[in-house]
Amino acid sequence: MRERWREMMMTRLTWALSGAFVIMGLGLMASVLVGSWPILMAPHSLGRLLSPLWDPLQGQWGILPFIVGSSVVTLLALCLAVPFALASAISVSRMLPPVVRPHATRVLAALTAIPSVVFGWWGLQMVVPVVRNLGGGSGFSLLAAAIVLAVMLWPTLSFLFAEALQSVSPSYVDASLALGATPDQTLVRILIPCAMPQLINAFLVAVARGLGETMAVQMVIGGQVAMPQGLLSPGATLTTQLLTDAALYPPGTRGHAALDVMALALVAAMAILVRISARWRVGT
Amino acid sequence: MNQGRVLHWFALLVALGAAIVFLGLLTDTIREGLPHLTWQFLTTAPDERRGGGGIAPEIVNTVVMVGGALLVTAPLGLVVAIYQAEWQGRVHDGGVIDQVRATWLSVPSVVVGFIVYRVAVAWWHWPLSLATGGLALAVMNWPVMVTVSISALKRVPHAYREASLALGATRFDTVRRVVLPAALAELIDGWGWALARLAGESAALIITAGINVSAHWSVWGPGETLAVYIWYVRTEGVGADAGGVAAATALTLMMFIAVTLWLSGRLADWRRRAGH
Repeated sequence: MRERWREMMMTRLTWALSGAFVIMGLGLMASVLVGSWPILMAPHSLGRLLSPLWDPLQGQWGILPFIVGSSVVTLLALCLAVPFALASAISVSRMLPPVVRPHATRVLAALTAIPSVVFGWWGLQMVVPVVRNLGGGSGFSLLAAAIVLAVMLWPTLSFLFAEALQSVSPSYVDASLALGATPDQTLVRILIPCAMPQLINAFLVAVARGLGETMAVQMVIGGQVAMPQGLLSPGATLTTQLLTDAALYPPGTRGHAALDVMALALVAAMAILVRISARWRVGT
Repeated sequence: MNQGRVLHWFALLVALGAAIVFLGLLTDTIREGLPHLTWQFLTTAPDERRGGGGIAPEIVNTVVMVGGALLVTAPLGLVVAIYQAEWQGRVHDGGVIDQVRATWLSVPSVVVGFIVYRVAVAWWHWPLSLATGGLALAVMNWPVMVTVSISALKRVPHAYREASLALGATRFDTVRRVVLPAALAELIDGWGWALARLAGESAALIITAGINVSAHWSVWGPGETLAVYIWYVRTEGVGADAGGVAAATALTLMMFIAVTLWLSGRLADWRRRAGH
């Protein structure tokens, strides 16, 4: 009898907590949607939101500069990081002796745990001065942010790329080599095409991480709310603006609703990335 | 042997370049941080006016908030995972819980901080404090814990469960005496990674836990962590020796994370051996 009771209580407990989990998760999404409602429902909302003018004193809440900042920084960082990461993954999974391979993978995994604020700190003293010397200006710029972000994404991407390459069945590789293909041909014609779904998934993970990154970017981008005029000009991203303004506008004000719109844009972008990635998911 | 390997060697060269940049980052931190990293630095409070000072309160805050968030969310995540893996019988990829988990997992930490700030600080009138920051970390960590627990439970062979049920054990007993012990090593590994990730979190904590420490420690007092301190010192702080302090704090934080990962890895290995 007691066992029956325990079983039933456990069923209820797991069910209730799973329900709470779903409700809380949906609540998070609903929270930003409800918060941004006053701005989204105002007349000409989209046009005003997508204007390049962010001027709280004039009541102008255009978030276009931040969307541009986020997109440019993330894209540029990925363009910088992907070749290096792919090269590292190839080196780890094809060049290193098999004895060293697991250790190298473990080191890469450990490097992904380095806090982003450390990259921001490093960017402040190494990347910003270099950009300043090369391109003039203050050095705080989209370019500096992209470089720091690229360095930050490198271990994650390398690790995931290496995992993708190692997931290809060795028999494919052996068959290709046995047919007389060189290692290079095998890499380009067999290994990379076969690993493509996982490679794309790894890429999407990196996009999400880059888009959501706050600290490493915030410390070197300059925090300028005007539309960036080029890669060397300072700017801001959706995340950095959320960080610097969160405590500035109390809930209920227009500014707070504008921040909610930015949060909503981020959450929506992430949700889309998750959906795309689910399409590329390989059967487990 | 080396014919037709031009691409491979080129890749190795490029990879070495990337590794050197990364090594530079690590050596920079050590070179600048190590001279500052004294016993006194670890055991005293920061002193911005005179320069110097240490990071003792930040260490305590980090351990309390990260530990608290993990202690609360680890069982919560495990239970949600048990519901899917053990009670529903299988994990529905693309089911409601799975979709919520995947989306929640992808929410940027600064957005979580922003939402927790609104709910806890604006609605409930909590102060910027260790409690609010811990709540933000817990909200961030719950889906992580569900993910970690599900992958650990999935690795337990089905035959274990079938054998236990065939012997007449209830589902509850099967989970408690068969599945969880078999999954423990993976769980410990996952908890270690989550701990490391939380310790490095800063964006959400700047919004919810504040960027200073008070002389009188309390869970309702401001709770700056090590990661937040690095940010504060290098962006808002006015101390004269900011560079060294930031580097030494970064070094401390990275050593804390390394030790966490190493310990949890060893513990998991030990469990794995004990289980077989």
